[in-house]
Amino acid sequence: MALASVADLSFSYPAAPPALAGISLELERGEIVALLGPSGSGKSTLLRALSGLVPHFHGGRFSGRVVVAGLDTRAARPAELAGTVATVFQDPEDQVVMTIVANEVAFGLENLGTPPAEIWPRVERALASVDALHLWGRKTIELSGGELQRVCLASALALEPRLLLLDEPTSQLDAEAAALFFAAVEELGTAVVLSEHRVPRALELATRVVFVDGGRVVLDAPAREAREWLAAERPGWSEPCVSETQASSGEVALSISRVSFAYREALPVLDGVDLEVRRGEIVVLEGPNGSGKTTLARIAAGLLAPQAGRVEVSGRAGYLAQDPGRYLVKERAIEEVALAVNRDEQRAGAALERVGLAWAAHRHPRDLSSGERERLALAAVAVAEPDVLILDEPTRGVDPERKAALGSWLEEYAASGKAVVVATHDRDLPAHRRIGLCVSETQAARREARVGV
Amino acid sequence: MSPGPAAALLAAAGITALLTERLWAVATLTVILLAVCLRAPAERRSVYLFGALTTGLGVLVLSPFLWSAPDGTLLWEGPVVPVLGPLDITTTELFEAALNAFRLTALALAFAAYALLLDHDRLVAAAGAARRSALAVALATRLVPSLERDAVGLAESVRGRGVQLEGVRGYATLLSPLLAGSLERATNLAEAMEARGFGRAGTTRAPRPPWSWRDRLAVVAAGLLVVVAVLWL
Repeated sequence: MALASVADLSFSYPAAPPALAGISLELERGEIVALLGPSGSGKSTLLRALSGLVPHFHGGRFSGRVVVAGLDTRAARPAELAGTVATVFQDPEDQVVMTIVANEVAFGLENLGTPPAEIWPRVERALASVDALHLWGRKTIELSGGELQRVCLASALALEPRLLLLDEPTSQLDAEAAALFFAAVEELGTAVVLSEHRVPRALELATRVVFVDGGRVVLDAPAREAREWLAAERPGWSEPCVSETQASSGEVALSISRVSFAYREALPVLDGVDLEVRRGEIVVLEGPNGSGKTTLARIAAGLLAPQAGRVEVSGRAGYLAQDPGRYLVKERAIEEVALAVNRDEQRAGAALERVGLAWAAHRHPRDLSSGERERLALAAVAVAEPDVLILDEPTRGVDPERKAALGSWLEEYAASGKAVVVATHDRDLPAHRRIGLCVSETQAARREARVGV
Repeated sequence: MSPGPAAALLAAAGITALLTERLWAVATLTVILLAVCLRAPAERRSVYLFGALTTGLGVLVLSPFLWSAPDGTLLWEGPVVPVLGPLDITTTELFEAALNAFRLTALALAFAAYALLLDHDRLVAAAGAARRSALAVALATRLVPSLERDAVGLAESVRGRGVQLEGVRGYATLLSPLLAGSLERATNLAEAMEARGFGRAGTTRAPRPPWSWRDRLAVVAAGLLVVVAVLWL
């Protein structure tokens, strides 16, 4: 008997077009399913249907049947399914309940009635499995996005669920942490449905691939067959869009010299950093979580003043923050984009079209999916054509086809005489230079950052 | 110290500040609470301290003009303003203004110390039958730093596009998205909590360390402080 079965599932959120249409599939014990599909295709909704949150939490029109471990989700509430099913949502900041990391991981175990003597050992094992044991006593509010994501993963793993639902679980993790996490998932032996835009990583792990588009399953096949199908039908999903490009010799657009910064005394994030970016050049800042990529990007954009050193920008800098979908300020997408160009809706419309969101011009930004919001935020920053465009993790929640389009657009943008700086874990973006930031930890957990190229 | 006794001490300090009529007592309490708050990391405490001190200052500056006392020595004779009446300042008005300002500041600082320094998780765990209510209070407390972070993020998002936010009106435009963001965050959190079994019957608690002698002493001290405030202050 299958662990979970979805039969002819259709679902629409209240006052919205169908998000899922006639989906049928079965999940077996121990299999790892990669759930792929463009932004807004219904992946997150399908995951929510498997955890019972659709329809119980969201309302809407639901037809068909979803049965998980013998429980029909129409009758069983999500809280009853918890433990059998565990979910890691896209945004780690929105799922943290407790103040201290260990308590956060213990929260689900307490809710499920785990014997008290077992709780702390299970918390310890779960944190260790995602290399986050050192975060045990830290306050959740003080963690970086990547650290928080690891804590959320540990919270799910601690439940030892039979079905683990992961919605972009490694979007804020560096390569090493993501590999560690996937190794932990593989060791679990539990059934996993993994929605992930970093396709090579998902295909490496998955035994089966389900591709969803427009709320329908367009492919359900073993991983090997799926690779061939993707290569033939969706080439953007099987080939990374990295391109080797020639270094530019344009004038210097951004110059950072001997810059240092510490959020807390004796904990320098950046220590004497030098960076020069020329017009026509794309420079990628890489490095593990906590290495100072975002700090350097914010200093370059003039949003953070360095405690030592000098920053010079030739012209104007534009900055796209990490998780920009959270920080949209207007009530229509076109107004959001037009804000930076004195409410010129013609330019804003063209910018929306470039990111494939012309159809959403009059929609409320918060009605868009996370990937669509990211693209909207990019359009809102790029519309004014800043001389130095600084992007912080711009591919989070963006599907491979859109990522390829973003890569091409960045190349065009740089070729038009602008400088581009991208802080990212994602190696699928084009770059003239990649700069590695690194972080070391002493036994006393005092971090010292240094820069290497 | 365990968070339960610490919360009891802070609550006693707040109650004492409200009950006492002696300026020196409430001023001393305010200074002690300020010293306690200064133990929190600078970047986290600033918003709380700013809120507490400006509110107290506001009361100190405005209330002599808004409230008239017939007795006391007249220090300054101002004009008579319609609705507000005479804008005189007397020693009695100044004393009452200072007393109320210190009371409000002490109360705000007690809350700041609770928000900044206490382990809210252990308070929730110690709440027994009222666990859900305690969790709601803990989550509401955490709203302050979340809102602060969102406000900074929104302002940066706009400045990152080359748009300058100027004056109160400029920042006021961020209130609506800030509210929308908090509502969205609250919905997402509720969804995540339900998915993690919140509200299920038969919950358990992770074992916590028992109270030490200092915890017991703190609870006794909290009780004594309130008694002293009622009887002698």
